[in-house]
Amino acid sequence: MKKLFKDAYDYLDERFHLEDLVHFMGKKYVPVHSHSIWYYFGGVSLFFFIVQVVTGILLLFYYKAGPDLAFESIQYIMSKVQFGWLIRSIHGWAANLFILAAVIHMFSVYFEKAYRKPRELTWITGMLMLFLGMGFGFSGYLLPWNELAFFATKVGSDIAGAVPIVGEPIKILMRGGPDVTGATLSRLFGFHVALFPGIFTVMLGIHLLLIQRQGISEPMHFAHLPQKEKKTMPFFPNFILRDLLLWLMMLNLLAILAVFFPAELGHKADAFGSAPAGIKPEWYFLFMFQSLKYLPAHILFIEGEVLGILLFGAAFALWLIVPFWDRKTARGEQNKLITYIGIFVIMFIIVLTILGWVV
Amino acid sequence: MKKIIFFTFTIFLLAGYSLLNGKTPESSDQCFVCHEQLGGVADQFKKDIHFQKGVSCAGCHGGDSRSDDMEKAMSKSAGFLGIPKGDDISLRCANCHEKKEMMQKYGSHLPTNQLELLKASVHGKLSTNGKEKIIQCITCHNAHGIVSVKNPASPVYPLNIPNTCGKCHSNAKFMQTYNPSLAVDQVAKYRTSVHGMRNAKGDPKPAECASCHGSHGIRATKDTKSQVYALNIPETCSKCHSDAQYMAGYKIPTDQYAKYAISVHGKALLEKHDVGAPACNSCHGNHGATPPGVESISKVCGTCHALNADLFSSSPHKQAFDKEKLPECETCHSNHGIMPATKAMLGVGKDAVCSKCHTETKSTKGYFVAKKMRSYIDSLDTSEELALKLINDAEQKGMEISETKFKLRDAHQAKLEARTMVHSFSEQKFKDVVVGKGLSVTSASIVEAKEAVDNYFFRRYGLLVSVLIISLLSFALYLYIKQIEKKQAEKQS
Repeated sequence: MKKLFKDAYDYLDERFHLEDLVHFMGKKYVPVHSHSIWYYFGGVSLFFFIVQVVTGILLLFYYKAGPDLAFESIQYIMSKVQFGWLIRSIHGWAANLFILAAVIHMFSVYFEKAYRKPRELTWITGMLMLFLGMGFGFSGYLLPWNELAFFATKVGSDIAGAVPIVGEPIKILMRGGPDVTGATLSRLFGFHVALFPGIFTVMLGIHLLLIQRQGISEPMHFAHLPQKEKKTMPFFPNFILRDLLLWLMMLNLLAILAVFFPAELGHKADAFGSAPAGIKPEWYFLFMFQSLKYLPAHILFIEGEVLGILLFGAAFALWLIVPFWDRKTARGEQNKLITYIGIFVIMFIIVLTILGWVV
Repeated sequence: MKKIIFFTFTIFLLAGYSLLNGKTPESSDQCFVCHEQLGGVADQFKKDIHFQKGVSCAGCHGGDSRSDDMEKAMSKSAGFLGIPKGDDISLRCANCHEKKEMMQKYGSHLPTNQLELLKASVHGKLSTNGKEKIIQCITCHNAHGIVSVKNPASPVYPLNIPNTCGKCHSNAKFMQTYNPSLAVDQVAKYRTSVHGMRNAKGDPKPAECASCHGSHGIRATKDTKSQVYALNIPETCSKCHSDAQYMAGYKIPTDQYAKYAISVHGKALLEKHDVGAPACNSCHGNHGATPPGVESISKVCGTCHALNADLFSSSPHKQAFDKEKLPECETCHSNHGIMPATKAMLGVGKDAVCSKCHTETKSTKGYFVAKKMRSYIDSLDTSEELALKLINDAEQKGMEISETKFKLRDAHQAKLEARTMVHSFSEQKFKDVVVGKGLSVTSASIVEAKEAVDNYFFRRYGLLVSVLIISLLSFALYLYIKQIEKKQAEKQS
C-alpha cells in the first residue's frame, strides 16, 4: 500500500513538481497562541462551502425550477430519490453552518485586527464572500417554492424595495417583475446555481491565494516578542491535519442534524393564499428584521424603515472598509475603540436575534 | 193627543241629537247622501267595513262631508282631494292604518305596519311604469267594498286569495312587463295540489298563497328574508304541518319537520346552510304540493341522486319492488328522517336494511350477496384505517409521505362510489369499486407507509454506523497528529 502511494506521488511529482508545493507548505507556519482556535473557522467555512457545492450539484440532478415543478421535484427528492432526503437536509444545514462559521471567522479576524495592512484585500474578499453567502441563503430559500419561502421572499424583497432611489429597481431585479412569481423563482435559481457560485469561486480563489502568499496573520503582540518566543506549528501537515480532524467532526455534526432534524417542505406556495402566521426570515437576517420592527413609522422627515435600511447599509459599508479607516491599528497600535465597537455589534446581533426569535 | 205630542217630540229630539253627534253616516255624510242617489260606488261602500265603522267618503277623498253644498264640500279649500292615484292610494290608506290611536278610535286592533311591509316587499319595490309601484292596497282589498279578511266576501279571504293573486300572477301578458321569466301557472298548479283542492272545496285552513309568501311583506324567493327562501321553507311549512291541533282532522302525521331537522338533508340545509340541500318543496313541489306516489318516489329522489336512481332502475330490485308495491328509495332510507347512509345499512346485521327482506331462509341469494358486499366494505375500512395509522406514524417520525397521503384519498373516493354502486345490487360491480379501486389503493399506501417507517429506522441505524466510522476515523487522525507532533518534538529536542 505504502509503495502504491509512493508510486502515485512520484508519478504526479514527475509531472507537476509536487515537491516544490510540499516544500512551500512545509515552510509555512501557523502562529500558536491562546486564540489559535479561531484560525480553524476559515477552514470550517471552506468545508461547509465544499459540502454545499457537492450536495448542491447532487440536488441539481433532480431539482426542476419552475412554479409547477419546483415543489413537486423537492417532494420527489425527499420521498423517492435514494438518500435524497439526506442530501437536501445536509445542504440546508451546511448552508446555516457555513454562515455561522463564516461569521465567527469574520469576528475572529476583526477582533485580532488581522485585516490590518497588508491583508486589506483578504478582508474585503472575505466580507464579500459572507455577503454572497447571505445571498445564497436568500436565493436558495425560495427554491422549494413552499408557502414560507414564497412569503419570506416577498417580505425580503419588499424590504430591499424600500431603499430610496435604487430600492425599486433592485426589487424588480430580484423578482423579475413587480411581484414574486415563477419569474422570481427562475431568476433566484440562476443566481443561486450560476451567478453567485461563479463570483464566490473567484473571491475564494483570491482569498486563498492571498492567505498562501501572505501567510497566516500573527496576533499584534507577536510583533513585540523575540523570535524564539513566537510559538508556531507547521502549516503542513500539522495545521492541515488538525483542520481535517475538525472537518470530520463537522461531518458528524451534519449527519446527526440531517437525520434528527431533516429539512421540512411544508405546503406548496399559493400566491392567493394568506401568509403563514409568525413568518420570520432566516436567523442571520433576524436581527435586521427585528430592528426594523422596533423603529417608529417616522423619524423626523424620513420613514423609520427606510432610515433603518440606510443605517444598516452604512454600517455594513463601514464594516467592509474597516482596514482603511482603522489607521491606529495600521500603525501597529492597539485600537480599543474597534474592540468596543465589535463587542457592541455582537451584543446587538445576539439580543436582537433572540428578541426576533421569541417575540 | 198627549201621546202623539210626546212621540213627535221624542223623534225630533233623537233626530236633533243624531245630527249634532254625527253618529250615522247616512245622516251626517252629505257625500254619501248625494252619491247614494247616484248608485254605484255608494252601494258598494254601504257594505264596506269603513262605512260601518263610521268613516266617511271624506276620509279618503277629502272635502267637507258635513256640507250639503256640493261646490263647498268638494272645494279645494275644504281639502277635497278627488280620486287618489298611484302611490297616493296606499298613502291615503296608511293615513289611518299606520296610526295606532286612529285604529283604536275605530275599535280596530289591526297591525299598523302594512305600508312599511308593503314598501319593503317585491310589490312595493317594483314598478311597471316607473311612476307608481305595482301594487296598492286596493289591488287586493278593493276600494269601496272593503270587508274584513275574515269575511268570505273579501278578496283576501283564504278561499279567494288564489284568484286574487292569480289576477296578476296568472296573467302572462301583465307578468311579462316586469318579470318575463316568472312562471304564470302557480294558480293552475295550486289547484292540483292537496292544499288547492281542499281550498276549492271551501276549506279555508289549507295553505294558500299568503300562508307561505306572506301578505303585505311578500319578498322575492331569492331574498333571504322571504318566508319561501330555501333555508326558511321547512319552518314555513312546519307552521301548519307541525301544529297537531291545526292539522287535526287531516289524518296526517305532524312530525315531518322534527324528523327532517335531524335528517341528512335537514342538517345540510338548516345547520350547514347548504341551499342546494332539499327542502320540503324539493320533493313535494311548491305550488302543486302533493305527496309523491309510490311509483314516483325514485324519480323525485333521482332528480338529485341520478346515478343511484339509474342503477336501481336497472337492478333486479326494481321489478321486485314494483311487484310488492314498495316505495323504492323510501323502503330502505325512509322519507323525512333520512339518515346518512352508513355501512350499517348494508349486510345482514340487525341494523341492515337488506335483512328486512333477505334472510338465511327467505330470498337467500340476496342474503349472501348482502353479506359479501358488507365484508368487502369492512375490509376496505380496516385497510384504510391501517394505512392512515401507518401514514400518521411515518409523518410523526418526520418522513415525507404526503404523496401517499394524497393517494389515499382515492380510497375514500372508492367508498363514496361504493355507496352509489350498492344500488346496482350486483356483487361484481360493487367488488370492482371496493376492491378494484379502494383496496388496491389502501394496500399500496400501506406498503409505502411501512417503507417510510422502515426507512426512518434505517436512517437511525445508518447514522449510528456512519457516526461510528467517522468518529473512529477522527480518533485515528487524532492519534496520527499526536504521533507526528511527538516525532517533531523529539526531532527538535
